[in-house]
Amino acid sequence: MPAGDDYAHLVGFGRELRARGLPVGTGRILNFCSATRVLAPVDRRSLYWAGRATLISRPEDAELFDNAFGAYFGRSELDETMSSLFDWLDRTHRPADETTIEGTDAGAVAGFAEADEAAGDANIRMVASGTEMLRDKSFDTLTEEERNHAALLIRHLKLSVPLRTARRLRPSVKARRFDLPRTLRSSLRTQGEPFRRAYRDRRRKVRPLVLVLDVSGSMSAYSRALMQFAFAAISAGQKVEVFCFGTHLTRVTRALSTRDPDAALQEVAATVQDWDGGTRIGESLRGLLDEYGQHVALRRAVVVLCSDGLDRGDPDVLAAQMARLGRLAWRVIWVNPLKGSPLYQPLARGMAAALPHIDVFLPGHNVASLEALGKVLGQ
Amino acid sequence: MTALPFSTVEELAAGLRQHLYLPDRGLTTSIYLALSLDKPLLLEGEAGVGKTEVAKVLAEMLGRNLIRLQCYEGIDASQALYEWDYSRQLLAIRASDAAGAAATDLFGPQFLVERPLLAACRAGSGAVLLIDELDRADDEFEAFLLEVLAEFAVTIPEIGRIAAPAPPAVIITSNRTRDLHDALKRRCLYHWIDHPSLEREVEIVRVRAPHVAEPLAREVAQAVARLRNMEVAKRPGVAETIDWSNSLAFLGAPHLDNEAAEATLGAVIKDHEDFEYVRRHIDDVVEDDAGRG
Repeated sequence: MPAGDDYAHLVGFGRELRARGLPVGTGRILNFCSATRVLAPVDRRSLYWAGRATLISRPEDAELFDNAFGAYFGRSELDETMSSLFDWLDRTHRPADETTIEGTDAGAVAGFAEADEAAGDANIRMVASGTEMLRDKSFDTLTEEERNHAALLIRHLKLSVPLRTARRLRPSVKARRFDLPRTLRSSLRTQGEPFRRAYRDRRRKVRPLVLVLDVSGSMSAYSRALMQFAFAAISAGQKVEVFCFGTHLTRVTRALSTRDPDAALQEVAATVQDWDGGTRIGESLRGLLDEYGQHVALRRAVVVLCSDGLDRGDPDVLAAQMARLGRLAWRVIWVNPLKGSPLYQPLARGMAAALPHIDVFLPGHNVASLEALGKVLGQ
Repeated sequence: MTALPFSTVEELAAGLRQHLYLPDRGLTTSIYLALSLDKPLLLEGEAGVGKTEVAKVLAEMLGRNLIRLQCYEGIDASQALYEWDYSRQLLAIRASDAAGAAATDLFGPQFLVERPLLAACRAGSGAVLLIDELDRADDEFEAFLLEVLAEFAVTIPEIGRIAAPAPPAVIITSNRTRDLHDALKRRCLYHWIDHPSLEREVEIVRVRAPHVAEPLAREVAQAVARLRNMEVAKRPGVAETIDWSNSLAFLGAPHLDNEAAEATLGAVIKDHEDFEYVRRHIDDVVEDDAGRG
């Protein structure tokens, strides 16, 4: 039985974890103390496993736990038992080797930028920043002030939320299925005579929305707008998951809880280290599918991919991963800002490889086209 | 606390081993703690690492009944806890009508259909309750389950309260297709079951498929370990390793060579694209030293 001081030491470890950002409440710490009591005499190894079983409950937290454990109780022979644990997480975060860009879209990009610049100049001469004009202006040509205004517009977009039929039955007035239990219960009041009949029906559930955003240099203005869009979707009552990628994939759903898209994107910028590394869409998608393919977030979801489709990876990989995604998701929407240009044709090898697996192909380069995206979601 | 047939983690490990289950130190400690502290044990891990097996083996080892609640989307209290037998009630009403008497006691024990959670409340510490694949059920069900796990008592308005004198051992498994609620996780001990180390996997195959010779078991375990490191969508679990060893032994293959591996690949790879991929890279799976024997 540990003495009072030992308990203080154990509680201190719980608090250490909390200080490192893990959700360790008093209840968990209590469990930890009881666990060490039943394991007594406690050696280092059982102390470690007691903590693992009681203080954390997500495999992602294990690494943080191990670091804290090492720092608090001193490091020793433990390390080899832990390293194997993260293989499944690490698999998707391998550094990708560099290749050169192989696309024929450079011309289209240049043309698009010029056309947009010209339009921007004309607009500035007419009105300062009217809402109508702003709706049609491409995100990457917005001034800071316009960007804030556009952000507001996006956050107040009316979205149609996609629904699906759930398995669970709910009482319903529409006659779909007879509800024997409720009918019988109400008939007891009337001597077993079923005067009032009850019915049930399938409940409708909101489909999750998954945003997969390209955050490489040229795309960041558009991705920021789509982050705003994610907030609009959340306030429309939708479950939203957001992933960002350049050369590899980062899950940033947690950043959405900050309620400030710009702060969220800055946080993302800090974690995503590969802004200039070029885009590897196929590899990133593989990471997404390997890790979250079994997760309900992706299954039967509406997946919105935002990228210019200028892929540095192997187009065969991209095609195969898009096919996987197409089978798993309810609907795949590709938002390509380049499509906003009338000159654009999806000729880049990556884009051409992905095209057969896309349900809806949209520009998404200005507020008006995001409005269109909002309408497409619920169809 | 109920009397347990072991008093240290090592004794528990030995007990599990007798029942052909070879957990590592972390899992053994978690099971030991769950049983000693009367807390549910939440097990997560990839498919085929033996999550469900833990409950089955525990029930066997402790000589308790295994009560299994398989979760699925849309499961609700009437399928998990209890339900009234409405058809029998209707018949009883008709019968009493015919006899000219008032229908009485329609909600007595004889009309009650017991479901796994009620069964577990009645059995108490005489049972191991397995709540399988909880991630498949929806949020509402999880909230409901939380209530039951907190008390292990069920109040049926017409009959009264049924409470377990001591709670059953509870094993909850999840494939992590969605994240479970923190409220539920806080009540449970947690363990992530990883794929076993090579040595342990060989041992598991030897124990579970005793007719498979040691060299073959080792080759298969090595090949599966390589498969897990390849770019496959569905990584094979321990169950697949055992299946594969069994298939090879059944066909009389003394060693794992390319030909034998290709012929029996269906036992270990169960996704069409993975299958094609692995077939193309079969040389990487079956290493030369294994092929020559």
